[in-house]
Order: sequence, then C-alpha cells, then structure tokens
Amino acid sequence: MTTILIIEDDDIMLKAVRNILTKAGYNVLTAKDGKEAFDKMENCEYDIVITDLMMPYANGLEVVSRLRSDSTKRHVSIIVVSSVGNEETITEAFRLGADDYLKKPIMAGELLIRLRKLIENRSTSNLKLVTKKK
Amino acid sequence: MWSDLTNLLYQAYEQYSFLPLFIEIALFFIFIAIFATIFAYGVILFRRWKGYVHDKRMKFIRPKVEEMITEQVLINENLEQIPVEEIEFDQAAINDKIFKKPWVRQVVIDILIQYRKNFRGEVGELLRKLYIDMNLTKDSFEKMKSLKWERKIKAVVELTQMDVQISDVTILPLTNSTNPSLRAAARNAYIQLSKNEPFKFFDVATEPILPWDQLELFRIITTTKDIAIPNFSRWVSYSTNKSVVSFCLKLIAHYDQQTAIPAVMDLLNNKDHYFRANAINCLGKLGAEAAEDRLTKIYATQPIHCQLEILKALGRIASGNNLEFLKNEFLFSSNFDVRMAAARSIIKHNTPASRAMVEDLRATTYEENKLIISHCLNPLIKH
Amino acid sequence: MRSFAYFFSQGTFWDVMGDFYQKAVFIYGTSLLMAYGLLAIMSLVAIRRYIKKNTIVDINIIVESPLAPGISVIAPAFNESVTIVQNVRSLLTFNYPKFEVIIVNDGSTDDTLDKLIDEFELVQVDYAFREKLNCEPIKRVFKSLNSAYTKLIVIDKVNGKSKADASNAGINLSSYDYFLCTDVDCILEKNTLIKLIKPFMDEETTKIKEVGEPCMECGFQHIKEDYRKVIAVGATLRMVNSCEVDEGLITRVKPPQKLLPRFQEMEYIRAFVLGKMGWDFINAVPNVSGGLGMFDKDVAIKAGGYDSKSFGEDMDLITRMGSYMRVHDRKYAVRYVPETLCWTEGPTTLKVFGRQRSRWSRGLAQIMSIHRRILFNPRFGRLGLIVFPYNFFFELLAPLIEFFGILYYIYLIYTHQINWPYAIILIIFVYTYSVMITTLALLWDQITFKYYKKWSEVIGLCFMAFLEPFVYHPLILFFALKGYFNFITGRKHVWGNMQRQGFGNQPKKDTEMKAA
Repeated sequence: MTTILIIEDDDIMLKAVRNILTKAGYNVLTAKDGKEAFDKMENCEYDIVITDLMMPYANGLEVVSRLRSDSTKRHVSIIVVSSVGNEETITEAFRLGADDYLKKPIMAGELLIRLRKLIENRSTSNLKLVTKKK
Repeated sequence: MWSDLTNLLYQAYEQYSFLPLFIEIALFFIFIAIFATIFAYGVILFRRWKGYVHDKRMKFIRPKVEEMITEQVLINENLEQIPVEEIEFDQAAINDKIFKKPWVRQVVIDILIQYRKNFRGEVGELLRKLYIDMNLTKDSFEKMKSLKWERKIKAVVELTQMDVQISDVTILPLTNSTNPSLRAAARNAYIQLSKNEPFKFFDVATEPILPWDQLELFRIITTTKDIAIPNFSRWVSYSTNKSVVSFCLKLIAHYDQQTAIPAVMDLLNNKDHYFRANAINCLGKLGAEAAEDRLTKIYATQPIHCQLEILKALGRIASGNNLEFLKNEFLFSSNFDVRMAAARSIIKHNTPASRAMVEDLRATTYEENKLIISHCLNPLIKH
Repeated sequence: MRSFAYFFSQGTFWDVMGDFYQKAVFIYGTSLLMAYGLLAIMSLVAIRRYIKKNTIVDINIIVESPLAPGISVIAPAFNESVTIVQNVRSLLTFNYPKFEVIIVNDGSTDDTLDKLIDEFELVQVDYAFREKLNCEPIKRVFKSLNSAYTKLIVIDKVNGKSKADASNAGINLSSYDYFLCTDVDCILEKNTLIKLIKPFMDEETTKIKEVGEPCMECGFQHIKEDYRKVIAVGATLRMVNSCEVDEGLITRVKPPQKLLPRFQEMEYIRAFVLGKMGWDFINAVPNVSGGLGMFDKDVAIKAGGYDSKSFGEDMDLITRMGSYMRVHDRKYAVRYVPETLCWTEGPTTLKVFGRQRSRWSRGLAQIMSIHRRILFNPRFGRLGLIVFPYNFFFELLAPLIEFFGILYYIYLIYTHQINWPYAIILIIFVYTYSVMITTLALLWDQITFKYYKKWSEVIGLCFMAFLEPFVYHPLILFFALKGYFNFITGRKHVWGNMQRQGFGNQPKKDTEMKAA
C-alpha cells in the first residue's frame, strides 16, 4: 500500500485531504508544521509527500530541498499544493525537484489522478533501476 | 434612615460647593476614575467570560460540523459517480436538531466557506449544494437586510463565496456605497455573479479602487469560470477613473491582450508620471515591439522612474533592435540605477548578439560596471 | 541668615511665585490627564474601526495574488550566535508571497556569521549596489546556494556602533519598495507582513489631481498628489520574557513573571494600544517603534534614512519622513495596527533598563532640539501643531516639571505651608486617574485580542496599575532625568551589553547584545 505524508498548516484542509485519501485507499501520515514534517520525514516510511508552501517553522521549498538532498529518500515523489500564485516560487519548487504542483483551490479528483499517475511512473522507473542493477 | 442619608449627602454637597474650584474638579474626577476603573474590570470580566463560553461552544460544535461535512461531501460515495445535482444528502444528518440553532448555522457557513477556499471542482460544487440544501441561503439573505454594514458585508461575502445569485437590484446600489469595505465587497460580488455584463461597473465607478481591493478583484476576474473577458483597452481609452485604468493595465498584461497596445501607447502622452510608468511597464510585459521606437524617442525627456521602466520594458520586449541604445545607457549614464537596469535588459535578451555584447562589455568597461554585470549574471541574485 | 529665612517663608515675591507655580502645575497636570482621557476615547474608536474593518477581510487574499507588493525585511544582528539560526529561519517563514530577508551582520565578534554560512549554505557574491544612505563599509554579501533560501541575503559590514547604521546598510541593498525594520532577536508573528502592508494599500481618500504649469525640465505637467500617502506602519510590541517560545515561534503568550518586565509589558500596552492607536485616529502618530515598523522605501531614502548619531533613531526617522512630505506639500499618514505582531525581550535588570530609558529620553531631547523649527510651525501641519507640542510639553517637560514639583512639595511640607486635606485629595486624584487610564488600556487590549489564556494573568497585569505610581514611575522619572543630564553634558553613551536569557528550549548561554 502506498503511504502519503501530507504537510499542511490549514487544519481544515489537512483533515479534508486526509479523509479523501484514506477513502481512496492510501495510507496517510500528516504533519501540521515544518517541525513535525521534518520529524516525520526522518522517522517514517512514505512514498509520496504532499506539501504546502507556507507554514510555521519551515517553508515547503525547504521540505523539497531536504528530501532531494537525502539519498535514501530518492524514491519519494513530491506534490506541492499551495495557494501561492507567484510564478517564481512555483518554478523554484520544480527546480528543487518537486514532481507536481497543484494550485488551491484544488480539485479532489485531479489530485487522485495525479497521485495514481505518479505511482505508476514510479513503479515503471523503479523497475528500470532494478533491471539495471541486475 | 433615608432622611439621614439625604441629609448627609446634602451636607457633603454644601461643603463641596464651598471648596476651591481645583479641589472640586479633582473630587469630580476621583469619582469618575473610580467608577470607570470598576466598570472596566466589569467589562474585562464579562468579555473574558463570553470568550470562554464561545471557545467552549466552538470546541464542542466544530468537530460535529466538520464530521457532517466530511461525511456528506468529502467522502460521499456518489462523488464523481453521478452528476453533482443528483447527489442527495442524508436528510437525517443535515436536518439534525443541532443545525437549527442560528449560531450553529453560522458556524456551518463559516466552515463551508473554508472548505470552498480549498476545493473546487466536484467537491466545491457539492459544498455549494449542501449550503443550498441546508437552506443557509436564507440566513445569508437575512443578514443582508441588517442595518450594520459589517453584517451586510458578511452576507455579500458568503453569497459570493457560495456562488449564489444576488439580484442586481440588491447589489448594484451597494457598489456605490459610501463605506469603502462594503463597496468593495459588492463590487466583487457583482463581477462574480452578474451573468450578462460583469464589468459594467468599470463604466460607472467614480470612487477609486484601492490597491487592496484590486487583489480580490483580480483574483475573482482571473479565477471565475465562464466569465467573458472583455477587451480592457476600452477603459484604458475612455475611463476617467485613474485607478480603473491602472487596474486595467494590469489585466491587459495578465491576459496578454495584444490588441490593446495602441490604447496603452496613447497613455504615453499622459501627464502623470506614475501613470506613464504603469503604461510603459504594461507595454514591456506585452512585448510590444511596435512601441519600442516611441519609448526610445521619449526616453530622454522622462523622469528617472519612467526611464527605468523604459529600460526594463526594452529588456522584456527583447527585439534586439535596441541593444546599442541599452549599451550606450549602460556605458554613459551617470545614474547607477540606469546602468543596472540597462545591464539587466541586455542580459535578458539572451541572444548570441547580446551575449557577445555582454562579454565585450565585461572585458572593456571599468570596475564598477564589471561588478554590475557580474551581479546581473549571477543566478543566485534575483534582483 | 535670619532675614534670608524670613524672606523665604513670608516674602511676597515667593508667595506670588509659589501661587503662580501651583496654579500652572495644576493646569498643566489637568490638561495632561485630559489628554490621556481623550487619547483613551480616540483609541477605542480607532480600535473598533480596525476590528470591524479587518475581521471580515480574508487577509490570505494577498498571499495568492501576483499583485502583492514586494517587501524587504531588514534585521541587523550583533553577536546573536545563540539564537541567530532559528530566528533567521523563522523570518524566512512569513506568510507572504514576495519578500526578501536581509540580515546585517554588524561586525559581530562571535561566530554569528559562521553559523549563518554553515546553516544556510551561503557563498559570497559580487553584489553591485549604490550607497543611497550613509553607513559603515560593507565587506561582503552572501547568498545561499540552496534555492529554498533564495529570499535570504546576508551582509557582513564593519560595526557602526548603532542599529541605525546597520539598518541603513540593509536599506541600501534592498530591492523592494517597502522595507520592514526589526531586530533579529524579536519574534514576529507569521502574518506580520500582510498586516503591516495592508494599511499602505487601503488608505482611503485616494485622489489625484493635475495642477500647475508644465515642468521646465521634462516638459510634462506635474501631478499634485492630493491623497494621503501612508509612509510608515507600526504595530504593538510585547515582552517575550515569560512567553513559551518554540524555535522562534510563540506558542503561548504570558505576561512576564518578574516585576520589572511586567511593568514594562503594562507600559507597552498602554503606550501602544492606548497611545499610538489614539494618535492614529487623528493621524498624528509620533513614532513607529524601532522593534517593528514598515516604511515606504522611497520616502525613507529621500528623508535621509536613519541617523546613526541619533539616540532615538526611530522617532527621528519618522519626524524627518513627515517633514519631508510636508515640505513637498504632500499629505501623509503614519498608521498603527493594534494587534501585537512583535515580541521583544525586555531588560530584566535595573542597570540595563536604566540605560535603555536614559537613552530614550536623551533621544527625545535630541530630536526636540534638532527639529525645533517644527515646533508650533503651522507649515508642518499636524506634526508641528499636535505631535511636537504634545511631545514637548507632556513627554519632554513632564519629568522636569514633576521633579521640581516634588522639590516644591518638600519645601512646602518643610515650611508647614501645606494644606494637607487638599494635598491628599490631589494625590488621590492623580492616583485614581492613572489607575483608570492603565486599566482602560488593558481593557482595550483585551478587546483587540484575548492574548492571555488565564484569568490570573490578566489580573496580575491589572495589579501592576496600582503599584506603578509607587514603584515603576519614580524609576522612569529618575532615568529620564539622567538622560537629560547626559544630553546636556553631552556624555558619551556607553553601549551596554545585555545578558541574554535565550528563549524556549535553548540552552542558557551567555551572549551579548546591545541594550536597546
């Protein structure tokens, strides 16, 4: 089962996304600020991170950059979900290695489709890696 | 007993009236001060108690509301299976006795709005349906009738957020209200909800649109679906309201309305510096090659901030025709900001010719200019 | 000798003088108290207006907007090694879409800079800038290699012995139209930028009209700006001393436990909530506090930026910005936000506290003498007719008048001339009135926001109002007089070192900082 870590400081949104994803059959972890996020990022197993950009203690870009600089977390896909309309920030997120970006207000259906797609892509690319090693 | 007291008071008053004026004043204020202090304590006490009750109520009701919305909307089985209009809510759940109390209904509205801010699409639609099915529209329209402007605004905002039609007769008078906040809220509602001519109020707006109100207006215009985007050059040419014109310039740039270029270029004759600067900025963002000649021609007569805007615009247009112009400004201007802007614009061209020019300049120019170039070339520095 | 004493006790000259002084002091004192009363009423109206206007507004609208104006956050740091990393981290997490954080390392002698370089992967860059404001030379400029920290700029400069100098350096490098001035050791609320930029963007009565002949230089007709331009916005400060802080974030607001900072908390609430908001109501805010303020960069630079020689550089800047606007015939406003957005550490020892207060009053005296042409000058509008006269009579002269009043009282007691019942009534008058004003301030504060969670905390603070006239006020009086003395004698100000407590779960470690 795929595990998803949701990092979001808006309580309503966090719970809502958690409920939707749980219903869709994912295993869900949550973090409500940068500190909790870093803690869970270190100590938990997860495959996909959905992160907000602005929150207490850290910003979403730091989350992305930290994940990408950690070689043991290479396999983790990152989706940035934010209401920021500022293009620079979005470009920055992608440059740091985010896989996808969704602007709030989001469409729940779209989020699920994108998640599915990321998981599919990942399994194929992982396969490649495995075959290469052999 | 009673007569004793009145007697005492009378005596006190008699003595009081014989006192010197300044002592009378002092006594009077001592009385006021003691009374006001006790009163203030009373109010603090009362407010804290009210706050406490409010918190406690919220703690109790919010989870219940959230749970209801989660069940009815977020994890609704029928979501994405059948069209939103056909989804039926569990009547027992949404008609629970608890949701009849007015204050609870307000909490439901507030929470629904919070969800709406995070979700659009099917979920958003279903949230709206819940709002209507629970008959919360009635609560909002009730508030609209209030005499207090802040309650009116709340009503307008709720209805706008929930995409509920407000009749033009109700909303149009409010768009020219003397209260700026109410005016802004009504304007936003009108744009978002009016079916036929959402931008009509641009024609009639006499009051300025404050920068803060432009934020919301911009968001509504750029995110409301099925809104017919008109050619904003209309207002650029004809509106006498400066804030409308400068707001339209931003919209023109956002929608990249190339057809507006002639109208925007007309603004270059405007007498207001800041206005001209806005127009030049807009031309740059449109990448208006047609305007380049005009810009370089008027350059010499412009005040500094317009000059900087022109240099910036030339970098955005980046046709390559004015590289020499930029180079001259970079080399010979005595103003640091001008040189900086010129260097940035040359680099922004990013063509073989411009890159060669940058290399050339870097090799030949003096120290400070070299520093400017390496500053502008450094990817770590954004400004 | 005898005739001398006789002259003193019964001489007509001294009787007349004494009588005159008594009356003058009574009128002065009453008008001062009336001014406070008026401020209390005005501030209540201003606060209610602010709350009405802002509770319905969704402030997050600006976060998602591409139209949000850029803000440069400038925070000077001097030997802040213990807390620097987490404080910079918290400055980087503002809820705002377009800002930069400029940390000015003001020639620290500890490892402040090294810590920043390590933590944020900084590298030195060639940075071209023009020195628009005077400051000590800038040695190096750093940017981060990690693009999660693109917003961060670190400046290493030669110590200029003042916050003003460091702030100027930051302004020189800032690239946005507004700048926020703060201290690196202040703890800021995450919506600070939104709440402070808002007054710049929704000042009412914006109207522009064209007047006059075409300009000789550019050939265009110039515009007379007939709208009120907001040049600066400030917000309430509070003591961080006993608050619960977690990695640069306030988790629970508490009034200070120690007596001295608790008095200061009460005083800050009164000065900001009641004072500044009252002045805001009639658009006559005298000062935006150095701990937190947002400014229009253009006007600040044209007014000459901070004066590194000033002892009250914050008020000095506002005064110069205001007089710049008035001289150029433009209407302006300085606005205040009644919410607390900044928590700062108040001095806990008498020594440091005294130094801070002496410095403040010295700064006031300095400003009054430098800008004396503004006083009663109608050309400067409210600045000359309200702000300056108030500050001159009720801030600058108050300690002196009070001091001589006490001396006179002692003399009266000594010579048995005093009318005890009247004297006691007058003292009770002043006492009850001051308690009332402070209590009202605390009430207004509770109206704005319920900061303290517990009852006992509010009561504990209210209690200070009763003690203040006996304990805290004499201290302030003493240090103010000391400040004036220093001003007159021109004594060099000693930059004190304050032992920092370090907040939250930080290990207690001794570092030094400038005392206010």
